[in-house]
Amino acid sequence: MDRAAPLSGIPRRLRFATAIGALLVLLGTYLVSATDRADAAPGRTAAPVANAIRVAEFPADCTYSHRLPDDPIIFPGLPGASHMHSFFGSTVTNANTTLPDLVNSPTTCNPLVDVSSYWVPTLYRDNVAVEPAIATFYYLGEGVRADVVANTQPFPQGLRLVAGNAKATGPNDSIARWSCLHAGHVPPSKDFVNCPSGTMLESYLDFPQCWNGRDLDSPDHKSHLAYPVNQACPSTHPVHVPKLRQVLRYPVTGDPSRFRLASGPGYTMHGDFFNAWPVAELARRVQDCIRPVIKCGHDGRPI
Amino acid sequence: MRQATASTLLIGVLLVAGCGAGPRHAASTTAPSVTAPPATTTPTSTGTAFNPTDIAWLQLTVAMTERLLPVLDLVPARTTDPAWRQTAAQVATARRADLDRARRLLADAAAPTTNPHEGHDMPGMVTPPEMTALRATSGQSFHRLLAGHLRAHLAQSVRIATAEQQSGSQRETIALAAAVVRNGTADLAGLDELDRPPGTQPATGHRE
Repeated sequence: MDRAAPLSGIPRRLRFATAIGALLVLLGTYLVSATDRADAAPGRTAAPVANAIRVAEFPADCTYSHRLPDDPIIFPGLPGASHMHSFFGSTVTNANTTLPDLVNSPTTCNPLVDVSSYWVPTLYRDNVAVEPAIATFYYLGEGVRADVVANTQPFPQGLRLVAGNAKATGPNDSIARWSCLHAGHVPPSKDFVNCPSGTMLESYLDFPQCWNGRDLDSPDHKSHLAYPVNQACPSTHPVHVPKLRQVLRYPVTGDPSRFRLASGPGYTMHGDFFNAWPVAELARRVQDCIRPVIKCGHDGRPI
Repeated sequence: MRQATASTLLIGVLLVAGCGAGPRHAASTTAPSVTAPPATTTPTSTGTAFNPTDIAWLQLTVAMTERLLPVLDLVPARTTDPAWRQTAAQVATARRADLDRARRLLADAAAPTTNPHEGHDMPGMVTPPEMTALRATSGQSFHRLLAGHLRAHLAQSVRIATAEQQSGSQRETIALAAAVVRNGTADLAGLDELDRPPGTQPATGHRE
């Protein structure tokens, strides 16, 4: 895909050199620490760090980046074809985005190594766009048997995932979940809830975690992934990948009738994920956090 | 010392790999023990193969047209104005032909006729509440509502058909897009004769 070259040759070479340098330092550090650990604890996978929190998790916190009526998964190459989306992570995503664009892009994520793109329909209050104050994307190993978690594979780079139902016509065909931050007494709902002042409106959305092991996308953009059945991945989608949980906290409260999504009512909440994590880094986090069931921080190290 | 040597070795390997990493990079992006070619492959030859933009545009064209036709079907019952009736009939005939061609092309591509984002407040689509409002009006106020929806639909159709002409691949699909741009532009001009636009910006649903 064509993109305007933003920089002349010299700064670009410099930038490239800097990036390579940083990469080498990182890799060198990792190799050293990995060797250290291997020396110290040969049976490391069976005996995780004693004081680790036994939750299979690592997070990426990605603040709001930009809005566009674009969707490079559902409407590739068709700018303006979609309802309004709010983008998180990679700052370059538009209708024409492909994997190489993301790999080289700046990101709003903590950690900075996550250059993936995440997007959701924009939330409006009284027809004014509202963006999440907090947007967290958890990578989890849960909802399946322990032996399945122990065999979790990283997402292949370039994998496209969608969750939720943008054309839900009611709460019954939706997996959306709305609740209030710091107000647990308000029952969660598939549609917007009325949050007391001083709290925040929250949206939870879980992505499917069983991959068919073959396709980065599919004609309906959904069927290359599936949700687990009976705590395991179905035979059609045998590869267990991390469960991506999107948690958005919007700085709005009160009357839900003032809210709408660009896609419609609250139950049309959906999320799109275009994976661009560096292959080795995502594999390391799956190996160090998900498989051994250890809660990791943004750096992908045990908390 | 052993660690330092290992790091140096790794650096060397990386430097070598980095020089020609382009194509190999793609191959190394798959999960362990599986090959994962992109499902949305780019066409091997332009002209006959459908690319993801072709499919998405055809699906959206079907969805948008299916939403517009019931609006146009309301016209004879809601106005006696011959100019409006004629405009509506003319747009409906052209869009029905587009719809047939789009459906045939989707069948050729063996692609699903629906897409996950159709059906809810897409730009250029009339929503069910707007449909209810149309059914409740007639005469001049109906003309005004109809003009707004028609303009939004045509402007959005021309916008995305133009994008298909730029990013699409399959010859007949691009030809259909060219027809949509041509007819849509003419219909917009005809609409402006019947109903002066409120501003220079066409209404396009929920855009900022």
